[in-house]
Amino acid sequence: MTGKPYAAIIGAGRTRFGELWYENPESMVVKAGLEALESVEKGLHRADIQACYLGSFMYQVTNKLGLVPGYISRELGLNIPMSQTEAACASSSSALHNACLAIRSGMYDVVLVGGFEKMTDRYGKIVDDLMFAADPREFDAGFTFSGLYAAMMARYMYDFGKGDDRCRIALAQIAVKNHQHAVNNPYAQFRSRITVEDVFKSPLIADPVRLLHCSPISDGAVAVVLCRPEIARRYTDDPVYIVASQQATDHVSLYSRTSTVEIKATRLAVGKALREAGIGLKDIRLAEVHDCFTIEECLFMEDSGFYRKGEGWRGIYESIESFQGGKHIPYVGDGWEVFVNVGGGLKADGHPVGATGLRQVYECFKQMRGEAGANQVDVEGGIRYALCHNIGGTGGIANVHILTREVTL
Amino acid sequence: MSEPITRRKILVDYRIRVSRCEICGRRYFPPKPFCDVEGRRSRIRYEDYFYRKGLFYSGAVIRRPTNRFSYLGSFISCIVEFDGGVRTPGRITDIVPDEGEVDVSEFIGREVVPRFRRTYVDGESGLIYYSSLAFSFADDYYEYREYKPVKPSEGSEKPGIVGYGVYIPKFRVKNANPAMGGGVVERAVPFPDEDATTFAVEAGRRALIHSALDSRYIGKCYIGSESTPYAVKPSASTVIQALELGEPYEDGFFTGGLDTQFACKAATDLFIDAVALVSCPLFKADYVMVIGADNSQAAPGDPLDYTVGAGAAAYIFGKRDVIATLDHYVSYTSDTPDFYRRDGEKYPRHGGRFTGEPAYFKHVTTAMKTILRRSGLKPGDISYVALHSPNIKYPVRAALSVGFTMDQIRPGLVNRYLGNLYSGSSPTALAAILDIAEPGDRVLLVSYGSGAGSDAYIFTVTEKVEEKRDRAVSVRSQIENPKRRYVDYATYRKWKEASSV
Repeated sequence: MTGKPYAAIIGAGRTRFGELWYENPESMVVKAGLEALESVEKGLHRADIQACYLGSFMYQVTNKLGLVPGYISRELGLNIPMSQTEAACASSSSALHNACLAIRSGMYDVVLVGGFEKMTDRYGKIVDDLMFAADPREFDAGFTFSGLYAAMMARYMYDFGKGDDRCRIALAQIAVKNHQHAVNNPYAQFRSRITVEDVFKSPLIADPVRLLHCSPISDGAVAVVLCRPEIARRYTDDPVYIVASQQATDHVSLYSRTSTVEIKATRLAVGKALREAGIGLKDIRLAEVHDCFTIEECLFMEDSGFYRKGEGWRGIYESIESFQGGKHIPYVGDGWEVFVNVGGGLKADGHPVGATGLRQVYECFKQMRGEAGANQVDVEGGIRYALCHNIGGTGGIANVHILTREVTL
Repeated sequence: MSEPITRRKILVDYRIRVSRCEICGRRYFPPKPFCDVEGRRSRIRYEDYFYRKGLFYSGAVIRRPTNRFSYLGSFISCIVEFDGGVRTPGRITDIVPDEGEVDVSEFIGREVVPRFRRTYVDGESGLIYYSSLAFSFADDYYEYREYKPVKPSEGSEKPGIVGYGVYIPKFRVKNANPAMGGGVVERAVPFPDEDATTFAVEAGRRALIHSALDSRYIGKCYIGSESTPYAVKPSASTVIQALELGEPYEDGFFTGGLDTQFACKAATDLFIDAVALVSCPLFKADYVMVIGADNSQAAPGDPLDYTVGAGAAAYIFGKRDVIATLDHYVSYTSDTPDFYRRDGEKYPRHGGRFTGEPAYFKHVTTAMKTILRRSGLKPGDISYVALHSPNIKYPVRAALSVGFTMDQIRPGLVNRYLGNLYSGSSPTALAAILDIAEPGDRVLLVSYGSGAGSDAYIFTVTEKVEEKRDRAVSVRSQIENPKRRYVDYATYRKWKEASSV
């Protein structure tokens, strides 16, 4: 039984993801923010916003910015409370978590949540900068982010694939699926189809990770407007409610964690979120999942509980091999079916790290309201519950939000 | 990285320091002051994995490195698991991955051994960072030996060598025309993450293992080198910290040390000082370590460019458990400008043929003849001669001219396969002889340093030599090691430059 929601999402906006050479960080936030405001059907004024929660990762390095609230205050022309959250790739979902707590506390009625990242302004240095989300000793060991995920992938294939080529293929099929999902997403960075063969022919980045196992370097911003659930219908007839907002943390360093083939923070946060929402995993029909590298989507499918540990690759392989055609490829299991990353995920939609968490919420908001246009996913019986899963670093933090349109207030 | 951050990292990374809860046995890296499980009841003890083996847990072949690591090209980063389950990050060194996809799973479960290497360098003028979180596979080139210190014997004997260790890098370059290198056939080449300081640490580690001496008993550490990575900042302090030489106090050690410079005799010049120190009542410690270490430098295309090698030899001097007593000593010096490098210059210059007769031969033969005369010994009383070997011709000609035979000279002529190790040259020749010497053998060591001078020492090998022999990684085994790898001249130059920044 779903409990009282934290907040209602009444509007959402985003920029295209990709190489946005003519945008500044603040101009992207403003574009996404204005689109979010304008998407509120019954109207919302800037002055109605009582607070801003922002998430971003590397602005200090990429753009030599600090005091993000001051920039956003100037751009929005507002002097309201604002805070900026940094949690690597989970920055904006952490901001969303804080916004949920703020609304639930009764402090604010309407808040704007934003996430942004401007990565292409640091061409040539971004691979080094991304290691801020890892342990400095991992940097000193020569690891890159793709290298850390490659170490997870190598160990996963060793422990569970055991030489079965289908494991290797499944980890490429994830990229193929997510590229297919982005073909009709007008905001996506990559809208081209790829094949498993393309993945295996793409350049080696950190064996066993190849270029097409990786999400890209991207610019972009996303904003959503939240309000108290009780007043949501003042702004829209079709609000989407956040019924779970959960977070779990783990060591920043991959090497010191109990397991390198499980994201413990994911397991904990998903478990808590399902309990909070009062639902089972089978109720989730749409999941926007953190697929910075394809292995991560596979780990999510196990750590969340959809597949048993070590069998995710098999489930993914069989789901994709048995796919009968259509725009979106679901994962299937014993009595369940879930569509994962219907907008292309981080892999194809793009991964401006501080915007990604909210991009997942944006995607679910649009899909649940049937506003995804040519990319609308066709879910038999409709999407009652959608889940957003956003992690930071190699799993040092996981935020899980569960959304629904059906609540009893 | 700032200087304070560097200092804090040194205290953990040089020795791979781990904390262990004595109540539940859990281990933590990096170390932390309490145990997650025991909380306030924790009893934390610190241990280190400097001499231990671990297992490759997982890893990746980094093809697009961070800018800091681009000097290595492609390489393997990894997670290493040690006894007790604690894991550390690391990098596999001394391996250049194939261009095609490497199956990382083949590495999983293989034993790895920590090596002291550079992580990276802050440009031309910033700090050089070192760590032991670099590993080589235990079945690769470097032979693993356990470090098991034993209590030194009681009483004191005539001072001399207690133990030694030689470190030669895994890679070699062949001289297409050995005549160009004065008879040097092949030479040791540093991997890009090595330098004279890392050589010194590895040689010193082997000397401690060979002598089975607790490192805390060493009261002084000299490092002779003409290629120390810093113009100002001692390699000795890095070596003392890494090897934990001397009695520990807070995060330092009660021991002294310094880098010395006298071209290729920067180390041998200190042998007499080491023996003098351990014989001096004022010097409270019982042992002194002397290391000759060089990443030998030569300008590209210079004749020296076909002779320079890389490596180090470390000696521990003391008065207990001596394997070779020091019996005679002579040193001869003159201001002869045969070879020099001005401060700030990258490569040394030399006087061509002037480096022969008035420089090398005059000083070496004078020292050799004098020590024989003063000791009352004849060439026939000496079992072996270890000479500084800038090439093969010079030491052979010098020794023959004084009356020695090829049988006495040959065992020490290791530079034929290693190149000129500069400060490490004659000490490595001496080690190659000690590797095979029998009790009672007399060994003559004659060094040469440009600028110019020559030290001559006569040692007598004791019975202890045999007891310690199995713990040595012999010079011969390093020369002939089937895991050594050859690189071409262009790679040798590239790596030499990278390791000299």
